[in-house]
This record gives sequence, C-alpha cells and structure tokens, in this order.
Amino acid sequence: MSNRVAVIGVGMTKFMRRAQETPGELAAEAVRMALEDAGLEREDIESVTLGTAPDAFDGIHMKGEHLIAGTGGTDKPYMRHFIGGATGVMSPIHGWMHVASGKYNTCMVVAEEKMSSCFPHPAGAFLTIFDRVTEQPLELTLIHIFALEMARFMHVYGYSERELAEVSAMIKRNALNHPAAQIAADISADDVLNSPLLSWPVKRFDISPTSDAAVAIILANERVARALKKAPVFIEGVGFRLETAYWCTRDLCYPDYVAMAARDAYSMAGIVDPVRDIDFFEPYDPFDYKALHHLNALLLDKTGRTVRDLFESGNLQHDGSHPICPSGGALGVGNPIAATGLMKIAELYFQLSGQAGKRQLQRRLRRGVAQAWGDLMQAGTVVVMGADGASPVTSSRWNTMKREDLPGTPITSVDEVANIADTPDLRYAWDNGFAISTYLDGLKNGKIRGSLDTRTNRMMVPARSFSEIGDLAPVTNYFDISDTGVVKTFTISHVNWDSSPLAKGKVNIFAVIALDGINEDMGLVHKLSDVEPEDVEIGMRVKAVWKPKAKRSGDILDIKYFAPLGAGMIKLDIKQIKPVEMDVLSMAQKQGKIPLSYRYTAGIAGSKFYTDLGKGKINGTYCAARDEVMIPPAMFDEETLELLDPEADAREIDPGSGRIRSWTAVYEDRQGRMLEKEKVVVQVEFEDVEGSIFGILDADADDIVEEGMAVKLVKSGKVDGPDKVVFTLQ
Amino acid sequence: MGVAVLGMGICGFTPTSTGLSYREMIAKAAKMAYRDAGVTIDLVDGAVSAEEDFPSGYSIADEYVPDQLGMVRKPVYTIPGDFMHAVASAAMQIETGRFDILVIESYSKASNVLTKDEMTRFAFDPVYNRFGVSPHWLAGLELNSFLGESEYTIEEVAEVVVSNRGAAISNIASPYGDNFTIDDILDARPVALPLTELMMAGHADGAVIAVVGSDEAARKYARKPAYFAGIGWGSGNSILERRDNSFSAGTAIAARRAYEEAGVVSSSDEIDAFFVSDLYAHRQLMHLEALGIHGTQKPVVNPNGGALGGGDLFEATGGARLYEALNQLRGESGPCQTAAERVLVHAWRGIPTDSCVVAILDNERRSS
Repeated sequence: MSNRVAVIGVGMTKFMRRAQETPGELAAEAVRMALEDAGLEREDIESVTLGTAPDAFDGIHMKGEHLIAGTGGTDKPYMRHFIGGATGVMSPIHGWMHVASGKYNTCMVVAEEKMSSCFPHPAGAFLTIFDRVTEQPLELTLIHIFALEMARFMHVYGYSERELAEVSAMIKRNALNHPAAQIAADISADDVLNSPLLSWPVKRFDISPTSDAAVAIILANERVARALKKAPVFIEGVGFRLETAYWCTRDLCYPDYVAMAARDAYSMAGIVDPVRDIDFFEPYDPFDYKALHHLNALLLDKTGRTVRDLFESGNLQHDGSHPICPSGGALGVGNPIAATGLMKIAELYFQLSGQAGKRQLQRRLRRGVAQAWGDLMQAGTVVVMGADGASPVTSSRWNTMKREDLPGTPITSVDEVANIADTPDLRYAWDNGFAISTYLDGLKNGKIRGSLDTRTNRMMVPARSFSEIGDLAPVTNYFDISDTGVVKTFTISHVNWDSSPLAKGKVNIFAVIALDGINEDMGLVHKLSDVEPEDVEIGMRVKAVWKPKAKRSGDILDIKYFAPLGAGMIKLDIKQIKPVEMDVLSMAQKQGKIPLSYRYTAGIAGSKFYTDLGKGKINGTYCAARDEVMIPPAMFDEETLELLDPEADAREIDPGSGRIRSWTAVYEDRQGRMLEKEKVVVQVEFEDVEGSIFGILDADADDIVEEGMAVKLVKSGKVDGPDKVVFTLQ
Repeated sequence: MGVAVLGMGICGFTPTSTGLSYREMIAKAAKMAYRDAGVTIDLVDGAVSAEEDFPSGYSIADEYVPDQLGMVRKPVYTIPGDFMHAVASAAMQIETGRFDILVIESYSKASNVLTKDEMTRFAFDPVYNRFGVSPHWLAGLELNSFLGESEYTIEEVAEVVVSNRGAAISNIASPYGDNFTIDDILDARPVALPLTELMMAGHADGAVIAVVGSDEAARKYARKPAYFAGIGWGSGNSILERRDNSFSAGTAIAARRAYEEAGVVSSSDEIDAFFVSDLYAHRQLMHLEALGIHGTQKPVVNPNGGALGGGDLFEATGGARLYEALNQLRGESGPCQTAAERVLVHAWRGIPTDSCVVAILDNERRSS
C-alpha cells in the first residue's frame, strides 16, 4: 500500500528570458541546490524523474535523454514524464509513484525548460500542437486557442477585460517577493489593458512570459524524511486527467478535466469541501483568465459563483481568505512550462513549512493545492500538499533568498555568447487513413462530412472511424452535413502563428463554429470573413464560403472562411454518402514539416570549449571530488553533481597529444544520402584525462586509421560547431 | 511485485501502412488488447503512452492519446521512453494501490517520417555531437569499441542478423524475415564502418497495446496472464564523451534491479528465453553481456526474430518484444515456439542513448 511521500528539499534557477546555460547546466544548478537544501548527496537519490515540455522548444529530439547527466540520473533509474503544459504538476505525481509504490525511498524530481533556443520565436513551436490536417493549415497558434477560450469564459461567466486585467496585476505584484521572478512588476490593470492587443481579447500583459529555468525537488518517504529531521510537507492527494483532443466539440468555458483531477486528489486527501478545507491555491496561470478558469474547477463550482464572490470581495488577494498564486505565478515569475508547475509545488512546500519569506501567508496553513493545465485544453494535473497539522516555522535561507542568490546566467541575446546554429530538416507525409480521407474528399466536393455513431446517434466532425466516447464503437456511416452553424466563440488576431504582427490594419478572425443539425457543440475551428470585427458575436449564424471547385484540393482550406448568414430558415441537407474506396490512390498523405530553426547557446562549459578551440587550445576541467581532469570542459560533474568552473578550474591539455580511442568511416550524410567521399568521425582521448572529444579526422583515402594512433587538433579560426572540431594524424 | 500483463494487441508490423491513420491503427490494436485481456473499457483505470513528439510530427504528442484508446477523461500521461519504460511506470502506479488496471500504448508510423536520420541526429547534443554525417556514426564507433574491448568477432555480430532475420521468416507479424549468410551481412553496403546496412534494423509501422493490472485483476479477467517477477530500468551516461562505448551500463543497472526482485542468481540457468534489443546487431551482444550472459553460453535469444526481423518501431519496439514474450509464455508462438516458463524482456531506446529496461515475466505467479 501507499507509503507517505514528503518533499524534503528544493532548488531552482532564476527564471530568465534567455539563459547562457545549456538545458543540462540549468538542471544541474537546480539539482545541486536541492541536494544542499535537503542535506543529501547524489548517492542518496535512488531514482530520478524529469519533466520538460515539448522538445520543439529546446530543439532536441528525445530531450529527456539529453538531460540525464544534468538531473543526476547517470547510472540510475531515470524516466521522463510528459503531459504538455500540465507536466510541471505531473512531475511530483510521477515522483510520488516512485516512492508511494514502495519501489524507491527517494526520488529527485526535476523540471527544466529552455525555450529561448527556438527561432523565430518559441511561440512558433505551438503551431505543431494542432491537428495537421484539420487545423494546422489555418496557422493557429497557442495565443489563438487561449483567446478563443478566454472569450468563451468571459461570455459565460461575465468577466470583463478589466477584471481579468486586475487578476494579472495582482499576481504579478505577488511576484515582487519571489527570488526567481523574471518580470515581477507593480503594474495596474490599466497597464494590462493598454498593453499591445495580440488576439482579442488577449493582450500582451494578459500572458505570462516565455522563460528558461529549472526547478528540482526531492521526494522521500516518511521514514527518510523524519530521519533527516525535516519538517516534512506531504503530498496528500494527486489527480491527473486527459480530455479528448477534439477541442472544438466541447464548451471551453469550464475545464471538466481539471475538476475531475481535483476530485481524484481531494478524495485521496480526504477533502470534502475544497472551499473550506484548502487554505491557498496555485492554479496554473499562463494567462490571467486561466487563474479563475482553473479555480472554478478546483473549487468544484461550475456555476462560478464562489470564485466571483471571492474575487469581488478581494479574498483572492494575498491577505484574503483564499489567496491564489502567492508565488507570483507564471504571470509574474515566468512560464518555463514544466518548471512553472514545479515552482508552484515548491511554493506549496515553502508556504506550508514557513520558508516563504516575504511571501509567507499570515495565517495558519494546513493545506494547499497546485494545478497545471496542458495540451489543447485537455490536461489537468492537481496535487494537494499538507503540513500534517501545525505550520512549522523553519528558519532557512529561502526566507531571505534574493534573485542574485539563485543560480542562472541571464543574457540579452544569443549573439553575446558562443552559440551553434542548426536547422533540422524534419519532413513528414502523414497517412490520412480512411475516415479523414473521406472527410477530405468531402471538402473537395464542397461538403463537410461527419460520421455517425449509430449507438448514440452522435454525428462526429471531423469524420472518424470509431467513437472516442464509450467503447470505441465502429463507425461506418458517413454523411454530408450542413455547412452552416453558430459561432460558439471567436478571437480577432493581430499576430501570425510565429507571433510576428500582421500587416497594419489586417486581422484574422478565428471562430469555433457549432454546425447546424447535428449534436450541440460538435464543431470545427475556421476563419470568419466578410464581417467587420466589431460585428462578430457569440451566437451569430454563419455559412461556409468555398473556393471554386477547380481550386479545391481536399483540404480544410477548401473552405475559404465562414461568413455571416442572415436571419431566416435554412434548408438542412444531411445526406448519407458512400465513403471513399480503400485503394492506394484514395489513401493519400498530408505532407508537412517542422518549420523551426535553432540557435543553441554552447553553455558555460561549451563556451570555454569553443573559445579555446578557436585559439587551437584544449582545456579540461579539474573536478576536485573526483580528483580528475575532465573533457569536454564541464560546468558540473555528472557523478557528484558538484558545480565546476570551466575557467577557474581549467587545466591545459596539449592539443597534439591525442590518441584515437575509437573511430568510424561514415558513408552517408545527415539525411541518409550516400556521401561522395566517406568522412571519418574519431573519438580522441588524452593521457590522464577522463573523457574524450569527438571530431572529424582529416585523413586521406589511403591513410590507415587505427585505435591508439596519435592525432593532433587542427587550429581553424572560428569554430562554431562540431564539424569544425578537426584532427589530423600525426 | 504483484503486477501482471492481462493481454495485448498489435496492428502490424509492415514497412508502410497507408490505409490506416495512426488513430485507426491504435484503435484496432486496443480492441484486440482489451479482448485478449478479458476486460471492457470501463474497467480500465487509465493509460500510459510511450511516445516522443518528433516521430509523430506533433508537439505534445500526448494530446492525441486518449481518443483511440477509449480513455477520454481518464488518468493518462506519456512517458517519452520505450514501451517498457511505460510498463515500468504503470507498474509503479498500480503498486501505489490507487490504480488496478492500466492500458499501455505505443505506435510507429516510421514510413510517415521522410527524414528519419535527420530526426535521429536531432537527438544528439547540438553543442558537441551533431556532425554533418549520418547519426549512425555513433553505432559504428560503438561497434568498433565493442569489437576492440570484447572477445566477439565481426562474424559473430553478423550471425545475430542471420539468426534473427531467419527466425522472423516464421513470424507472421514480422516484415523482414529472410535467409542471409554471414558474408551477406559483412559484404553489405557500408554505413559507418564496421557497421553495414544489414546490421541495422529496418523501420516498420505498427501499434502495440498492453493491458496490465494487479495480480488480482489478472486472475479475475485474463485468460492467460503473464506475471512480472521483476522490473528495472537504468540509463548510462548521456555525455557520450565520458561513456564506455563498449558496455551497456543502462542494461546492467536495469538487470541488477530486475534480478534482485525476481530472485535470479544465474540468468542463463534460470531464464528460458531472452527478448533483447537488437536495433543494431552488435547491441544484442552488448546487452547480453550486460545481462550477465557471456559468449560461451548459448541462450535462446529473440526466438521470434527481434527487431532485425520485426522492424524498428520507434518507442513501440520493446512492446513488440513483450508481445512475443507473452505469446511464448502462453505457448502460442507457433513455429517460433520455444520452452518458456520464465523469460526476460529487454528494451533499449536506440542511439544516442544507453537507456534500458529489463523485465522478467513468468507464466504463473511464483511465491518468492
């Protein structure tokens, strides 16, 4: 059965718009701090779990693997968990599984994000979260889906832009006392309202900033926690739920998946009435309205009445009865996706153990709840933590921690430091499969197609081969349905998918349209046009405007946009059709690519490496804990997680003293095409130095290459990537 | 340990899968798994998916997980790891006592990824390890190190291909069964010498689903469950420069835990068959070494043809081995059948990792 799981230590870097550290270096800084905070060494950590959001940000496929060394996972049981933006609160849950199962006594939980490597802008990485066939061609981005949800939320719950701006101002003000805060500010609701309008109703200051950071917490079972004489803060309840990906088929105003996850967590924690039993809240607040949107669900109140009352009476404020985001939230501290969630968990820990310094809530705290959200309005993760009775007052350095006390090296531009540019050529041709092929065939014919689950009489758009609700019932009946519908929510966008502004005066209007004559809420997302932005309303009737037949190709853009349909009756023409044939010509693919490029900082250690190489030098880093010189230079030792200084601890290595440890002759290029002339990749080691360097061996076709042969580094001016690390035979 | 595999389902495995979207493939395999496990969807408490973003082409691949499993609004998360990592995570989840039956999912649409080597290269450290050549340089260099440090010969490496692809001829789910000779393998087109094209598993499309649960759930619902006696996982150094390229530390760490839990002292004596990652032929031998099986012992390895026979299924690869192991334990492997009461399933995530999982399964629950 369950072992009680406690948080016994925390570490975190500054939250920064742009860090010099590599992802691994950020993680190491946070992990080292957490170990010191807990009074433990890496050898005491039995397992490691890492949370980090989409690989597209850091620009590393299988990013979790890359982060093993920096998280202390080397030669240990290590896993990565992932659930989009909700990852940061899934992190402690996954760690909880490690300990509550009895499998491990301790678990290092790390959340890391480096969003600044992604160009043109990290926001552009969000293009690829949308369905590639039915949504990506519209060039939606995260701001748009949030804006659509925000507009719906405002419409249903009656919040004005000003009220939500007040929430943003309040949370950002809370962040003034958080040492990691990236953009804490004492701003007013007017400042928020006057900030640039990105996609109505979303303005710049409604949104939390992208960020680079890492946070680490250490979990231990109760026995270990008490043996360490910690005032343990326990994880009392966990919950996580994932909604359907079909986000246009439900009302976005209330996140049922968060409420369900909350119920799971409360049930485990023995909470019957969250309004009564929870003392403070850290709902995920990537946008200001989200704090309230999530809070409705955390209080299990779909009417929204409780939150409305608390908001109006000022009781969501720091000194209120139900304070939210005392940390300063994503809005104030920053939003490095996964690390944000873990920062909120850390806040629960700090508050419940009396380590929150100036942020400390001045009341008896028994329980707090943190929550994160993710995906296409789908994922809800909830954790309840408790102080097991009295609020222990722990004097700790956290109470007086300032930003300059936290690790992390902010830079203004990637050009300031050694960096490596790389644009991956990632191209795809996705099989549409039977249902989508039928759907696209419909579009080519100027029709929107659905498929009918005859067991429940539920017409599904886009057409599907099975019903995702229920028992995966097979669906074989396809229909041409109405191309008219009702606007459920909309946004007026002034930005492109990559966050660049649209041409002056131009806007794109996106809307979720519930189609006529089929199930309520069964809809799709598309553009609106032939209408003035100020005339767009929730509830207005619209009809698809199609491209001419000759220009239609079987694509969602065969519908140019939806335009207002006047009042009056429409003729519903829902007709069963025969789906496409299952033959190789009908079964087409949707082609696409990842449209992102990257500039990676070389990191603290990598900067030293490349700067040295440019001078024809090689320096290792001396690690006192191991009494060894390590190459490549390192800013941390993966064995002990000691932090090192590649400059101060540098030890010069003779660039002419290398020997081949291993090598290979490569016959293909990076895209798998045969090379004209093979290239030799060589692994070079140096006497009395731990580690090696990989490089290209500049050798002639008739040179013999063998293990143990002497090689020397070729000095070659500016070295801006691994291909320029070149050796020759002596 | 009190966790079992109740049942499994697959869809595949084939070099292309044009007529099915990934959703349709997964739904098909899921229905097979639920039927095999003897459960209805409402009995399943949640799902764990083994996926990475870039193979699917989506950012946040977990968005697209619940629907085709029938797991909408249930507790679902993703492990960016091999299928067996997801199994290990689900096992912990069940052992908290809060979850009883879980479904594990993974799939490959490798045929939809037009630039697979680019994607693999994209997993390498951008500061130190992304050369302008095929990422298989690491496998070639690793093979070179392995041959230098061990007593294995290149012929023995080639023999792995001959054996596995030969066995796969009788495996109806495997696309790459064929009759090769050692010379065929050695003379094949070079990729990253000494690595040749035929020493690498070709890619395939497919979906793999497992329903796992407590022993009690297995006894109640499953027609022929298999019982986990031990599960371990581990990762060797992610800093390639400081890794011993001739030894799979990840496998050794995973095996130590799995053997401890299962009470295994001498794996070659106590385990009937080994389902070991052979994404590259030499890796099968490296993994066996790290599992404590040395060259002189002749265990039954990959009797159904491994990945060399069944295809590189991205994160689903370990799931294909688990499926084979389950069939073997049930006596349902047809011409590939070997004696199997206790088997070992091993997974490795492929280059540039040394992240591995080891699970030991029995055809009945043994008292410890």
